[in-house]
Amino acid sequence: MRFSYSWLTEHLKTNANFEEIEKKLTSIGLEVEDIQDTGKAYQDFIVGQVLEEKKHPNADKLKLCKVDIGKEKVDVVCGAPNVEKGMKVVYAPVGSTIPVNQMKIKAAKIRGVESYGMMCSEYELGISNEHDGIIRLEEKETIGRSFSEIYGLNDIVIEIGITPNRQDCLGVKGIARDLASAGMGELLERKISGEKGSFKSPIKIEIQDNKICSAFAGRYFRNVKNTESPEWLKNKLKSIGLRPISALVDITNFVMYDENRPLHVYDADKIDGKIIVRSANDGESFLALDEKDYHLKNGMCVIADEKKVLGLGGIMGGESTGCSTETKNVLLESALFDEINTAKTGRNLSILSDARYRFERGIDPNSTLKGIDLATQLILEICGGECSEVELAGNIKENKNEVSTSSGYISRRLGFEVSDKELISILSSLGIETSQTGDVIKCLIPSWRQDIHGEADISEEVIRIKGYENIPTSNIRLKSKINKNILNYAQKKLMKARHFIASIEYDELVTFSFTDSKNCEVFGDINKLKIVNPISEDLDILRPNLLPNLLQAIKKNKNRNFDSFSIFEIGSQYRSTSPEDQLNVACGIKSGIKTEKSWKNIQTEFDIYDVKQDLTSLIDYLMPGNKKISVSNDCPSWYHPGRSGSIKINNSVIAGYFGELHPRVASQFKIKNKINIFELYLDELPNTEKKTTNKPVLNLSDFQIVTRDFAFVIDKKVKSEEIVTSAFKVDKELIRNVEIFDLFEDDNLGKDKKSIAIKVTLQSNEKTLAENDISEISSKIIESVEKSTSGTVRS
Amino acid sequence: MKDFRELETEIKKASDKFTNIESINEFRIKFLGKKGIISLEMKGLASLSGDERKQHAEKLNKIKDTVLEIIASKTEELNSEELEKKLNSETLDITLSTSKSYGTIHPISQVIEEVITIFGDLNFFVAEGPEVETDYNNFTALNTSEHHPARQMHDTFYVETETDGMPNVLRTHTSPVQIRSMLKQKPPIRLIAPGKTFRCDNDQTHSPMFHQVEGLVIDQESNMSHLKGCLEIFLKTFFETDKLNMRFRPSHFPFTEPSAEVDIGYTKKGNQIIIGEGEDWLEILGCGMVHPNVLENVNINSNEYQGYAFGMGIERLAMLKYGISDLRTFFDSDLRWNKHYGFSPLNIPSIIGDLS
Repeated sequence: MRFSYSWLTEHLKTNANFEEIEKKLTSIGLEVEDIQDTGKAYQDFIVGQVLEEKKHPNADKLKLCKVDIGKEKVDVVCGAPNVEKGMKVVYAPVGSTIPVNQMKIKAAKIRGVESYGMMCSEYELGISNEHDGIIRLEEKETIGRSFSEIYGLNDIVIEIGITPNRQDCLGVKGIARDLASAGMGELLERKISGEKGSFKSPIKIEIQDNKICSAFAGRYFRNVKNTESPEWLKNKLKSIGLRPISALVDITNFVMYDENRPLHVYDADKIDGKIIVRSANDGESFLALDEKDYHLKNGMCVIADEKKVLGLGGIMGGESTGCSTETKNVLLESALFDEINTAKTGRNLSILSDARYRFERGIDPNSTLKGIDLATQLILEICGGECSEVELAGNIKENKNEVSTSSGYISRRLGFEVSDKELISILSSLGIETSQTGDVIKCLIPSWRQDIHGEADISEEVIRIKGYENIPTSNIRLKSKINKNILNYAQKKLMKARHFIASIEYDELVTFSFTDSKNCEVFGDINKLKIVNPISEDLDILRPNLLPNLLQAIKKNKNRNFDSFSIFEIGSQYRSTSPEDQLNVACGIKSGIKTEKSWKNIQTEFDIYDVKQDLTSLIDYLMPGNKKISVSNDCPSWYHPGRSGSIKINNSVIAGYFGELHPRVASQFKIKNKINIFELYLDELPNTEKKTTNKPVLNLSDFQIVTRDFAFVIDKKVKSEEIVTSAFKVDKELIRNVEIFDLFEDDNLGKDKKSIAIKVTLQSNEKTLAENDISEISSKIIESVEKSTSGTVRS
Repeated sequence: MKDFRELETEIKKASDKFTNIESINEFRIKFLGKKGIISLEMKGLASLSGDERKQHAEKLNKIKDTVLEIIASKTEELNSEELEKKLNSETLDITLSTSKSYGTIHPISQVIEEVITIFGDLNFFVAEGPEVETDYNNFTALNTSEHHPARQMHDTFYVETETDGMPNVLRTHTSPVQIRSMLKQKPPIRLIAPGKTFRCDNDQTHSPMFHQVEGLVIDQESNMSHLKGCLEIFLKTFFETDKLNMRFRPSHFPFTEPSAEVDIGYTKKGNQIIIGEGEDWLEILGCGMVHPNVLENVNINSNEYQGYAFGMGIERLAMLKYGISDLRTFFDSDLRWNKHYGFSPLNIPSIIGDLS
């Protein structure tokens, strides 16, 4: 909401200076967002008169002028085609700044001739787009007079943010009223003559649906002259950024911004018969003042005559009855349209208008007739003519909202003592009438405050006027805890996983929860993931998986010359757009160079064993203690079928996957690198929250440790893990560890054979193992492994 | 009586010639070996008798001790010389290096963890809710009816699923977590709810996805002064400053009454924003006393219980604290940015240690 300081002071008698007003506005909830001191911006510009005008000796299009600026006469080189002797102009002296481009005027030689200052166009002064010539002021203007005074620019324009509840401040008067309540002065009542009218309006009004329009007041004017508005009115509208159109339209705009009362004027000669306020018929269409055709639906409030739709109630008038300079007779409308219905219609048709904005926030019903009176006075004054009596259809609701409260309630909510006396005094400053019975204070809410419904609202009014800075500060530390745990097990798991993954060299990314449905079929059912109104075509679904966005990140960074990627994201992915179909997943990618070639290392690349190790050690960190992790080949289709594995915990749930990205998916994302991925479905990890702080009992043996190496030749298809398990199960007490330390593949071993070497660690709790103990267990190991893998030991 | 002076001189002479461990060995054999001079003399003692044997034995033992001492000290001397020589030849170029790198924690995660740490210390637990929400939880239950003008200020993303005949939405704020939590738990309640939020807006200062943290306290006495106290502790701890100008001013949210926006003071030094003191104000969060209608919507008696709620943008907190200038860079996945603004994984926010 924009208004000028001078406009405000038409409603507010105050001794406060501008800075105090500015501070108070913000402190009562009318946040000052911008201030433009136009008086300051235009302070240097004055009226001058061209005394002489002759051709520039060195340039055809330039002229040499002598300009009288009062205290002296200066030479100015000017390029405007309309400059002529005797003309009154706006003169910008040396040292002034041209508003449109912030150029500072200097004394300068233009094509060899000295020029002091400049004569300005409206464009250069930033007041219109007119730049065909310099401003021609009226003959009568006094030389040396300040230009801003003439144009009514000697002012400060204030822009405040109005929160949706403060409909009462969508007019300058309301702002003045609130400032007066907050002790910044006295609200001035405008004197309105209250013309009664000398004849009955020839246009009757009928409300067919009083739910969508409870009251409609109309007044007929005959023989008006719809001229250009007078300077004061034009300047007022211009000062708040509105374009003056014609007197009738400007008057309705003025009343809207002054009194927060939307009005409308119809060219009465274009109305057929009476005015009918009704619900639109399905399929009806209407050309609005914004020159767009709207197709209406039942339920929308239209103002119609007996033949056609004239306007959308509370939203926008129509072309057919628009006023022009030819208009002779008019009908002035001031009505009460339903808030919700106006909001609905406006949203359905996507029409934003000042009227809609106000009606959907609620309009003071008492402004209906006051608005008519103010507009009548201005129309008669500016456009002449005669007015009819006011024709009122429907009812203007007079009863005020009633709210009961007490100083006890208000004090309890605000956190400091407010006495009955103080409470009543603040309320009455807001125009709220009170009556007290015992502790209960009954409040009658004035009609301009449509937002006060309950006690809580009263508490806000009190603190708003008293000032939020008067709220004390209280300690909130508790004597005894309310919450035993700050984070639950799942939340701790997520946080731990994040830090662990980052500690093994991955950089955490946070990407959008949306992604591009293209290329995503492989990851999920994209039809179940659609966003109805996506921000762009390539962010049209909720992500079925974290991978698509991470793959795009790789592609982007590849273009930035990165050749080694360790990235991860922990976040949600979605099975569908139902609230419960959201999963927590950690997804990491390692791709490209693992170790750079250097004086110490040879270059190596990441492979699936890197991500496998990361995944298993992550699981180990999140689920310490005994568990069985097994690996199998059943991976989702975005993995390379031969180079991926799923991780099962305790033979029950699949908790995650690791492997290489399927080459087909990689090529869809236009990625050439090998992409090694792990995914951990955090919600699937069994809950292993600690029940005791005790660690398991530790049995240490001091007897000698013995290691023995074995190598087996087995089929390539057989998983090496089989060797480890079958060796282990030979003697669970003596065998402390089995580890694969070599893998060897060669045709000499036989077709499709590989050699796997293991190191077995043996230790007894009772004795030092003798050679025969060792050879006995060794042969059992060989027997067990050969049997389970159909392999043979290499000797 | 035998004079051992000659022997002593011989020992002295021999001990001056040590050049390596072998010469010490020879020296030891020469005097202390089975057939060594001292050993032979010792054997000869048997032929003596009485006082003479005693005197000779004493003398010889002294000489033997001297020899052992010489061997020990000379061995030590030679060993250190040897080590010194070895050390001199064993030099590496210490300017060469290999590197060990950690990954990084995204600033969003860091700030969320900092916020949790501070509020956790004040006994707020961390509540959660889904990112796809029902229209009821996101708006209606929060006192924002279907045609409330505030709804238009939220550019809402809609999805194709429905709940109770209304299309589900991507939550436009973390406030619906208030509703979910209050339906689950009776007062007293103290919670925060950090998480992702979505609005259909994309320009220099808006991202279609961003993060918020919601706070909610419901009990029998919490009022505006507690709200002020709560936010003061939080903001001072978060910005790691003892001096913080804070300004509450009236605002409007459908789900709080009174509502306030909170500004904090700052000064600008060059391109740097210093939070704390100064004439200028930065808007940092919105808050207020929970609207009685919201409590009634979750079956909490608003005559018995009251409390406050607040909500703030994680990105804004991160930008102000860590000097990140562009909102959109958070989700850009530019690894140069992540490596620069990211945090060490070992850097876990703490109240007793460092917050950041």
